[in-house]
Amino acid sequence: MTAALDHLAPAAPTRRFRLADPSMILWIVMIAILVFLIASPMVRLVVSSFQDPETGRLTIANYIEAYGRARHLQALWNTLVFGSGVAVLACLFGVPLAWAISRTDMPAKGFIRLMVFGAFIIPPYLGAIGWILLAGPNAGWLNKVWIALTGADHGIFNVYSMTGLIVVVAVTSFPYVFVFTSGALDLVSSEMEDAANILGAGTIRTTFRITLPLVLPAIVGGLIISFLEAIALFGAPALIALPARFQVVSTQLWQFFEYPVRVEQAAAYAMPLLLITIFMFWLQRTLLGRRGYTTVSGKGGERRVTRLGPWRWVMLGYALFVCALSVFLPMLVLTQAAFAKAWGRGFSLDNLSLQNFRYLLFEQTQAQQAIINTFVYSGITAFAAIGLSLAIAYVVTRKLVPWSNVLAFLCMAPFVIPGIVLAIGFYAAYAPPPLALYGTGTILVLAYTTRFLPIAYTSSAAGMRSVNPEMEEAVRILGGGRLTAIRRVLAPLLKRNLAGAWILVFIPAARELSSAIFLVGPNTRVISVMLFDLSEEGNFEVLSALGMILLVTTLVIAAIGFKAIGRDFMVRNA
Amino acid sequence: MSLSRRDILKSGSALALGTALGTHGARARDMTAREKELYELARKEGEVTWYTAHSNDTTAQALGRDFEAAFPGIKANVVRTTAQVAYQRLTQEQRAGAMQVDVFSSTDIGHYVALKEKNLLEKYAPDNANKLIEVYKNYDPDGFFTVTSAGLIGISYNTEKLKEADAPKNWPDLLDAKWKDKIALGHPGFSGYVGTWVVSLKKLYGWDFFEKLAKNNPQIGRSINDTVTMLNAGERIVAGSGPNGTAMESAAKGNPLAMIYPPDGSVLIIAPSGIPKGVKHPNAAKLFMEYLLTPEASKIWVEHFNESMRPEVKPLGGAKSAADVKTIRPSVEEITKGIPEVIKQWRDTFGV
Repeated sequence: MTAALDHLAPAAPTRRFRLADPSMILWIVMIAILVFLIASPMVRLVVSSFQDPETGRLTIANYIEAYGRARHLQALWNTLVFGSGVAVLACLFGVPLAWAISRTDMPAKGFIRLMVFGAFIIPPYLGAIGWILLAGPNAGWLNKVWIALTGADHGIFNVYSMTGLIVVVAVTSFPYVFVFTSGALDLVSSEMEDAANILGAGTIRTTFRITLPLVLPAIVGGLIISFLEAIALFGAPALIALPARFQVVSTQLWQFFEYPVRVEQAAAYAMPLLLITIFMFWLQRTLLGRRGYTTVSGKGGERRVTRLGPWRWVMLGYALFVCALSVFLPMLVLTQAAFAKAWGRGFSLDNLSLQNFRYLLFEQTQAQQAIINTFVYSGITAFAAIGLSLAIAYVVTRKLVPWSNVLAFLCMAPFVIPGIVLAIGFYAAYAPPPLALYGTGTILVLAYTTRFLPIAYTSSAAGMRSVNPEMEEAVRILGGGRLTAIRRVLAPLLKRNLAGAWILVFIPAARELSSAIFLVGPNTRVISVMLFDLSEEGNFEVLSALGMILLVTTLVIAAIGFKAIGRDFMVRNA
Repeated sequence: MSLSRRDILKSGSALALGTALGTHGARARDMTAREKELYELARKEGEVTWYTAHSNDTTAQALGRDFEAAFPGIKANVVRTTAQVAYQRLTQEQRAGAMQVDVFSSTDIGHYVALKEKNLLEKYAPDNANKLIEVYKNYDPDGFFTVTSAGLIGISYNTEKLKEADAPKNWPDLLDAKWKDKIALGHPGFSGYVGTWVVSLKKLYGWDFFEKLAKNNPQIGRSINDTVTMLNAGERIVAGSGPNGTAMESAAKGNPLAMIYPPDGSVLIIAPSGIPKGVKHPNAAKLFMEYLLTPEASKIWVEHFNESMRPEVKPLGGAKSAADVKTIRPSVEEITKGIPEVIKQWRDTFGV
């Protein structure tokens, strides 16, 4: 707040001049958009949780109804177990890989890094389908192999269980931990490690006592993100938890949307998710605040590679094991199913078929449209999120308006809102008249833009801080307006940065399910929702084919991005 | 089968014209006067959106494409999902005042009773409804909804893993401990077929039947059609709620499946369609209602092993239809009252 007050004072004398500046209008518009996108749906959500559905009067009946059943409380507990399990497992996968790639002489680093990126683009519900094919208790490939090898009468893996769900989600969310940890490891210099070595500590002792504690805040950050991502997921739990006979908060929320639709109860039931998330972020800030080691300065020092000797092959084995769980195995069976007449018939030539693709592209009345919608909406979303966040980041870093920190906070706020909760807020606020956006592409783009604004803002703000204002001041001294300065100076300087951010928004938007599920109409369906509808019937061959179309198209677009801006953008921007 | 140049050209023109060219030749039957009249009006509306739980996706899409061929210039958006999800979307749209659906085809007849009571259905009695098989006629004398499809539920099983002699013969056989971990079921909270099936079996044997069934640890999916996938994959061996249509269609494609029609009665599902109030394409919706009752639509139904609606379209050889087996079905009131009740009981007994 003091920062906001500080710049308020010098701003006062020039205020009249500022208002005359046409760009000022733009800033006001941006702020209005931010309120429209974030504050309004959230306020609406909280308010409706206290409203009587019929009369609109203040009540706590929704809370009593939402928490009055043992089953609903059980779902809440299940969610906590699920989220914690995923977070811990994601660390066990992500941290060793990050350390190995950043600090050791493990072979095939580039390949492993690429596979981690692969894990990042596979949507959790698609991973879940892959794992249903792999670890279905009787028909899953892994169990079939096990039975064939041991002669046992039943398999050993059961994807339809809490453990199954945790593993399936952890293998798609460990890249968060990986990115956070390797980002920090790349900044820690080896001086401290050298000191420990000189004092007689071995490699293992140094790693556990020096290196890892130094990057602990980053690990905790990754842990928290995996936890939050997991508890907000809808698709993977819907596929796995139902046959496993348990509910989590997101699947329970879905039930409130069954007839009769109880948006108010859903809002009440969503509150713990929101509170847990806010608490987690507070926790992370507190931890980071206390543990701000100055060693992570980003400057100086050299980062030396730890020689693992023969252990480097063990490390590579572990990395390949993680890649197998997250990419090789699920992709292998999904590909097989996509090109199979019936996936259960196995890998044989007479089982090969293009029928699933043919069905989707030529016989299904919705698939073509859904494919086009998916990429159009995510493309527009990426542009909208970056445009908005860049403008806000500009206002905030140049302190153009008072209270600009509030804007920064608003931009980051959607981070704490699970997708399904955001969708409920959007539905309550913008589906009915006067805006009546239900069933339009606009409401999806708005919801996506809100949901991924924090990613775009983080990149934009980082980029903006790196640009010295002197260059635009030069433009303005020479008579150019602020908008000219942005267009001719700032935008070219930030081009690479923004392209990276574009991809980082585009990928999750293309696969987004939980915020789309309550907002799509028949003409605005996206691949993720169509996959969800198809999954009701368990038609895995067509599902896999549609999943392949999503993945391949995403990969092609990401590859174009890689070519344009260099491969390590994912690490630099995160 | 592979993608040919022709397919690609076809899809291009399909995209451009909103109609599939090439595969469908001239229509065998001329339009009725009502169809002609509606077609003229519907052409201006240009599209119709059909939420359907009547069949699996393949069948629903085939009907949509056939409608497009019969009435060029009108695009059919076919959204197949389970009955309760379709109803959820419909009520969501009504609440938001933004109707997307034009024709609503649930398998839970209670939905229509509730919608009619709240005055949320458009009155429309299709002309073709007079030409149906007797048992499907006149379900709603007030003309707010019309029966447009029917299907049977029996017990299906995987013939590779189970000999016919060992398969369960009647519903109570499913309670035998030897079927522990071997049964697949749908979910009444999603599927209207499964909901009606639960209501029927509860009427026959009491809720106790499901308490005992739960001890056999059945695998619970969502749609009734999911049970067929589970059998084909070998994940489970017996489908306690086996959809005759999807199972026989899958068997015809070479999957190891067979049906049992229990002596206590296969459950006959009679599923209506209706037009909700305030739809965007009212004439196209009426035309689509007419279409669902044409012999052409019935031909597609029987090709996909569902029941024919028209007396002149006979079932294909090999598969049984409702006329050949003993059937049971609860009354409209029993379903309307029963399904919401059994969904709650189901959640308490099965935990999901």
